Amino acid sequence: MSVQADLDTADLARRMAAVVGEPWCLSDAASLSVYECDGLSHGRVRPRLVVLPASTDEVAGVVRVASEAGVPLVPRGSGTGLSGGARPVPGAVVVSLSRMKRVLEVNLDDGWIRVEPGVINLDVTRAVQGRGFYYAPDPSSQSICSIGGNVSENSGGAHCLKYGFTVNHVLGARVVLDGGEIVDLGGPAPDSPGYDLLAALVGSEGMLGIVTEVTLRLLRKPEATRTFLAIFPSSDEAGNAVSAIIAAGILPAAIEMMDTLAIHAAKAATGLAWPDEGALLLMDVDGPEAEVVHTSSRAIELARKAGALEVTVPRDEAERQLMWKGRKSAFAAVGRISPNYMVEDGVIPRSEIAHTLREIGRMAAEAGLRVANVFHAGDGNLHPLVLYDARNPGEEERAAALGGEILRLCVRLGGSITGEHGVGAEKAAYMAVQFGPDDLDTMARVRCAFDSEGRFNPGKVFPTPRLCGEKPGPYVPHPAEAAGLAERW
Amino acid sequence: MSALRPARAEDALLGVAPRHVAEPATVEEAVAAMQACARDRLRVAFVGGGTDLGLGAPPRGLDVVIRTGRLARVVEHAPADQIVVAEAGLTVAALQKALAPHGQRLALDPPFPERATLGGVVAANAWGPRRTRHGTARDLVIGVSLVRADGVLARGGGKVVKNVAGFDVPRIMVGSLGTLGLLATVTFRLHPLPEAAATLRVDGPQAASVRTLVTGMRDAQLEPSSVALHAEGGELTLGVRFEGFGPGVKQQCERLSALAARAKLEARTLSDADAAAFWARHDALCTGGAVRARIGFRPASLGEVMNDVVAPLGRALGGGAAVDPAVGSGAVGGTPASAAVAIQALDRARNAIRAVGGSLVLAEAPPEVRASVDPWGPPPPSLAVMQRLKAQLDPEGRLAPGRFVGGI
Repeated sequence: MSVQADLDTADLARRMAAVVGEPWCLSDAASLSVYECDGLSHGRVRPRLVVLPASTDEVAGVVRVASEAGVPLVPRGSGTGLSGGARPVPGAVVVSLSRMKRVLEVNLDDGWIRVEPGVINLDVTRAVQGRGFYYAPDPSSQSICSIGGNVSENSGGAHCLKYGFTVNHVLGARVVLDGGEIVDLGGPAPDSPGYDLLAALVGSEGMLGIVTEVTLRLLRKPEATRTFLAIFPSSDEAGNAVSAIIAAGILPAAIEMMDTLAIHAAKAATGLAWPDEGALLLMDVDGPEAEVVHTSSRAIELARKAGALEVTVPRDEAERQLMWKGRKSAFAAVGRISPNYMVEDGVIPRSEIAHTLREIGRMAAEAGLRVANVFHAGDGNLHPLVLYDARNPGEEERAAALGGEILRLCVRLGGSITGEHGVGAEKAAYMAVQFGPDDLDTMARVRCAFDSEGRFNPGKVFPTPRLCGEKPGPYVPHPAEAAGLAERW
Repeated sequence: MSALRPARAEDALLGVAPRHVAEPATVEEAVAAMQACARDRLRVAFVGGGTDLGLGAPPRGLDVVIRTGRLARVVEHAPADQIVVAEAGLTVAALQKALAPHGQRLALDPPFPERATLGGVVAANAWGPRRTRHGTARDLVIGVSLVRADGVLARGGGKVVKNVAGFDVPRIMVGSLGTLGLLATVTFRLHPLPEAAATLRVDGPQAASVRTLVTGMRDAQLEPSSVALHAEGGELTLGVRFEGFGPGVKQQCERLSALAARAKLEARTLSDADAAAFWARHDALCTGGAVRARIGFRPASLGEVMNDVVAPLGRALGGGAAVDPAVGSGAVGGTPASAAVAIQALDRARNAIRAVGGSLVLAEAPPEVRASVDPWGPPPPSLAVMQRLKAQLDPEGRLAPGRFVGGI
C-alpha cells in the first residue's frame, strides 16, 4: 500500500472514530483479519477499516463520511453467510451491525416486534415464546445469524415450505441510504401506498443501503406439530414420497431429506441410531390438532406406499428435537467424514428430485469426488456438500468445478442457483447462467434507484460491474468506463 | 406488431382518452407494440380486465392503451411442482378452470374473476377474502416477464418457489399499476384445492367483540382462510371460512362457535347456498358504489377504524364496507348524494385512519371528487426513492404518467 493510501486510511479512521467512538473503529491488522471473510472462508479480502456503530444516527454518520470520501461500505451481520456476501472489496470499510442488538418494541396485540439488525434470529422467538408467539423463518444457523443478515439474504429455513421466507415476515424497515439519508419503508399497517420498496430491500444482499431497524411479523405457535422420520431404500423412493404427499394436497411445515452419505455424517456427529443405507425424510406437519392428526397419518401412509422401510414417530419433544438436531447439524457433521467440503445451494422443481440426485451422483463419480445431499425436499432446495481433500493437488479445483456443474444442472431443470444462501461474491458469475443481460440490467436499475454510486457492498450479485444511467446533460464517459472496467447501460 | 386501432370512448382511462389501442396476441407482439411506443415516445397505459381502473390519478396524457386480453395462454402448468406460468391477460376464472382438474388453485380470489386478469391483479394488487390465509399477489407471485418502457423484455424471479437469485423484480411489480412496465407473463405458486370448506356467520357483533373473536381465534391457534366483516346500514356481520381437510375444518368450526358463545354471540354454520351468497355479497361490497376507498390499518386499531372511519364514511356514501379484521385491510364504498359530501367524508376518514397509522386510497370516484381528494393521500417518506425507481425503469415518464403515488 502506498504512503498516500495509508495517510488516507488514517484520516478516514479519524473521521469514522469521531462518529462511532475510538474503540469501535478497528484498524489494526489482527482485528481486520477477523472480517476478511464470512461463512465462506476462501477468497479473503482485508478491509481497510471496520466500524461498529451503535445507532441509526451513527450508521448515518458512517455513511456520510464514506460518501464524502468515496469509499465503499460492506454491511455485515453475524458473518454466517455462505456466499461471500459480507466479503470486503479492496479499500472497503466493513460496517458491522453486531452492536445494534436491542429489541425496541414488542406488540403482541398486532403481532409484531421491532428490532435492531444485530439481534440474533432465535432471540426474536425467545423474546416472545413465553407468550405463545414465534418468528417463523428458521435458517439452520438461527442460533447465531442476525436479523439484518436474514433481511439481506431473504433467509428461509426448513419451515419456509409452509410459512414463507423472510420477505413474507418483514413488515417494515428503517434504512440508511447513500449520503446518509434515513428512510422508513413499510410499517405495521398493510397496504401503505407506493412501490413495494421493502420487497426490493429484502434479499438485496446489502447492496441498497444499511438496515438499522426491522419490524417483523410474529406468529402464534401452531396448536399441534407432528414429526416423523421415514427411511427409504434410496433417494428415488424418498423423492417419490415427497411428490405423493404434496400431490395429496398436504402442505407440511417442512420436509427434509438426507442421502446415505449425509446420514453417515449426522450419525457420526450425534450418535443417532439411523440406518447405514438409503435415504431419510424428516417431516413436520403443524396446525390445528385435528388437521394435523389427519394429515400426518395420511402422509405416513403415503410414505409407506412409496416404499418407506421404516417410519419413526418421536415419543416426546426431546426425541423430536434430537431428530431435528441430526438434520440441522448435518452441514457441520460432514466435517467428520471429509477433511474439506463445499456447501452448494441450488433449487430444482421438486418433481425432479430423484432424477437430479442420480445425475449429481453420476457427475460426482465422473469427477472422482463424493457428494452428500442434505436438503429441503419440499421446495426442491438442494444443499449438495461436495467433499474433498485440499491436501490432494487439484482436488479443490475439481470440487469447485463440480459445484458449478450442479448449479448449471439446476438452471437447466428450470430452477435457481440459490434458494437461500444468496449470490454474494461466490455466485455472481452464475447469475449470467440463470439470467440474460436484460434481466440483469433490470435488476441493476433497481439498485441504481437506491444507490447510484455503488456505495453499498459492491462486487456482489452482478457478474459485471456496471454504472448507473447517464445524468441529464452532455455525455461524459465515467473514468471506469473509459478504462474499460465497466460498461454503461 | 399487432395493428393499432383508433381508440373508442370506452378505452379512456379515468377520463383520459388515448388516440390508439393495441391488442397484442403474443408476447412478441406486445414487445413490438412497446418498441413502437418507445420509438415515437408515446405515452402508454395498460388495461387488463378493467376491474381496477379507478385506482390512482388520471394520467397527465395518453397516446396508446395496450389491452392485454388476447395474451391469454397458460404457458406452463406443472402440477407436481405446484406452479403455473401464464400470460398476463388470462383471467383469474380461466386460470382456475384450467387448474381445477388437477386439484389446484391460485389462492387469490379478487372480485370479478371472469374479467380480472392476472397481470391486472398483480399491477393493481387486487385481493379477495382469502387474503387472511394466503396473502396477496406479493405472497404468491414467483416470477414475471415484463416489457420495459424501452421495449426490452426482461425476466425476474423464476419458476421455483424458493429462489433468492437477484433482486425481487416480481414483487416490485405488485401494486405498481403499470407505471414500471407491461407485465407479459406471470408465474405463481399454487395451492391444493381444499377437500372441505365451511363458512360461519356471526350476526350483529360490535366491533369490540369482533376484535375479541379475532384475537381469540389466534390464541386458539385456528387457521381461518377468510375473516370478513361486513358493515351495512349500521349493522355488522362477520363471516369466517375454514378450508382444509374434513376433520380439521369440523374441529375449527366447533371451536369458533365456542369462542363466539363465550362472547355472547352465535356463530352459525351456513349452508353452501348461504355461504356462496355471503361471499358474493363480499365481492359486491368491495366493488360497489360510485365512490370507493381501500383502507389499510393495524388489526389492533379495528375499534377506532370501524367507529371513526368505516361507519361515518359508509354513512356519508350511503353504502357499505367489507373489512378483513385479521389482516387490517378493507374497502368502503357507496353512491353519495353529492360530491361535496363525499369529499368531506373522505378527508375526515383519511385523517382518522392516518391518526392510527393506517392509510386510505381512492379506488373509484367521479372527476368532481377526484378534483378535491388526492387519490393516494400524502406521499410516503420514501417518495424520492420511488421517483428514482420510476426514472430508472421509465426515464421518459411515458408509462401512465401521473397515475401513481406523488405524481409518478
